[in-house]
Amino acid sequence: MNDIKKEPAKLNSVNDLRKTMDGYFGRLNEASLTGNKKIAWCTSVGPAEILYSMGFEVYFPENHGAMLGASKMADKYIPVAVAHGYSPDICSYLTTDIGAFLLNETPLQKSGFKSVPKPDILVYNTNQCKEVNDWFSFYARHFNVPILGIHTPLSLKELTPTIINNIAEQFKELIPELEKVSDQKFDIDKFRETVRLSHEGCVLWRKILETAKHKPSPINFFDSVIHMGPIVVMRGTQYAVDYYKILLAELEEKIKNNNSSIPNEQFRIYWDGMPLWYKLSSMSKLFANLDTCIVASTYCNSWIFDSLDPADPFMSSAYAYCALFIVRADDEKEKVLENLINDFSIDGIIYHDSKTCPRNSNNRFGLQTRLAVKTKIPYLEINGDLCDSRCYSEEQSIIAIETFIDQLAANA
Amino acid sequence: MHKVGIDLGSSYTKGVLVDTEGKIIDSYVVKTGFDFNKASQKIIDKFSESHKIEYPVYTCGYGREQLDLPTVTNSEITALAKAIYTMYKKNCSIIDIGGQDTKYVKITEAGIVEKFKVNRKCAAGTGSFLEEIAFRMDVPPSEFKEYAEQATDNIKINSYCTVFAVSEIIGLIKNGNKLPNIIHGIYNSIVDRCMEMSLIEHTLIITGGIPANHPMILTLFKKRYEDCVSPDQSQILAAWGCVLLNLNKTKS
Repeated sequence: MNDIKKEPAKLNSVNDLRKTMDGYFGRLNEASLTGNKKIAWCTSVGPAEILYSMGFEVYFPENHGAMLGASKMADKYIPVAVAHGYSPDICSYLTTDIGAFLLNETPLQKSGFKSVPKPDILVYNTNQCKEVNDWFSFYARHFNVPILGIHTPLSLKELTPTIINNIAEQFKELIPELEKVSDQKFDIDKFRETVRLSHEGCVLWRKILETAKHKPSPINFFDSVIHMGPIVVMRGTQYAVDYYKILLAELEEKIKNNNSSIPNEQFRIYWDGMPLWYKLSSMSKLFANLDTCIVASTYCNSWIFDSLDPADPFMSSAYAYCALFIVRADDEKEKVLENLINDFSIDGIIYHDSKTCPRNSNNRFGLQTRLAVKTKIPYLEINGDLCDSRCYSEEQSIIAIETFIDQLAANA
Repeated sequence: MHKVGIDLGSSYTKGVLVDTEGKIIDSYVVKTGFDFNKASQKIIDKFSESHKIEYPVYTCGYGREQLDLPTVTNSEITALAKAIYTMYKKNCSIIDIGGQDTKYVKITEAGIVEKFKVNRKCAAGTGSFLEEIAFRMDVPPSEFKEYAEQATDNIKINSYCTVFAVSEIIGLIKNGNKLPNIIHGIYNSIVDRCMEMSLIEHTLIITGGIPANHPMILTLFKKRYEDCVSPDQSQILAAWGCVLLNLNKTKS
């Protein structure tokens, strides 16, 4: 009650971010209203490049789920989906999104949309989880439109040529149906160009996240989860590249002037797992007041596909979308985390065990204890969920986080 | 001038009056109810009757930031670890069973928190669990001890969820199990939930309001882990730890 409250520094690029995202939704809405372009729905780490290269506007239901979560509307929509037979234990992006759809409500209505843009085709990749198949199938049935999927094997230790060749073939097999729906012939040069732009955007995104290696960091996790919008929904477009050049320049300037994101950065945390979308603002302030910066995360790193190569677009796409953290076996994940701990000078790790997102909760098979033994970096596990706030005990978690920072201070 | 530590828990508010050397002079426990300020004021008033109180007061627990008094807030886990280390001066594991939370804390030889965990989302293994079961069975918690001592059978209650545990108990009653055996089983299930929180190392120290009011819980812990103790007044230790954490700071 008597403490001075600290706020994290705001990034000026947020105005450009808003314009970039408004532009994206404007193009989607125009396609939806006028039919000037076909609309494909795609999973967030799905084959966006091939869709953009064939002239689709691309809509991402996960982005919509995150918007609903961040606007604290999920608790209204999840019960609607549950009443329609969806379990409250499955992905709460899915239940939130379908629940909102069943009520014909979307935050996009504030931006002039009548509803979410109707798909002409749905394309998913199971590299993140198998639930995306069920999610998209709901809409395929509802709209009676084609649904295509890339089925990626999970928990991969080695990315063998057999696996990569198979995924590359699955990418190619999308083409005939996409040609039919888009009424456009697939053009390898356009695909190469989209892959090049996606690569450029991903490299910029990596550089942005890596500015947090600097002590003190100019950016924190709560900025990154907002500023990652363009790399999720405009990967493979010039728009994302243009925006990230602006953001990177701001962060580099901040480093030059030693301007930190957290007013008095004392501790540097790695965040594993999903954000708690409904708590971004309060958590951001909580950590700022604990002089703690979350400098790196599994989540924001998930959109670095820098092995994309326009010279070999199919094979490199297949490789990039299999090399993703969430697709890998725990042994591989451990190596990634160990490197990040060193590269970002991490003092402690927080694992968010997200009730409805087991694939993105990496503390369920002992990884956290193995890594702690190996690195001597302390960790904390908190229980919650990405959208379903009913799974989160805020008071209990705040006490745990405060104690964890006490623990880091005692070890310092 | 004396310092005051207050642990504002979900069920009870615990206060300690501490001298400048960190020694406990007095303690007082009141029901929290829904007004943290009122509960704390009762403690301040009680201590003020006999001693002059120094501000700020040192707080922890759910209501630690809610008081209209000058306060310095602390983590209840760090505070508990501080109090335990002050008493035992060695590495140990702590299990604290409160009204809403069960906590596991491991402290090093130097008294630093090395690891800690709080119970997962459900209340099984906490005081709320006991209260719910007592209400459902229409047996006051204060009579649990008497019944459990008459137990003749080791019944297992497995449910993680308090609501499911109640259903499980109804099933046990339907199958003709006697009340003493069921209450013994309830105590056992609390110990089970605690023991699975983490690997226990070194001396296990049991604290919190629940074991303080239900001593059979300590007996059952000892059956599973021999090197197990519970200090007197274990309910007020976090409140004391709040003052101890700030003792040297205020001295300087």
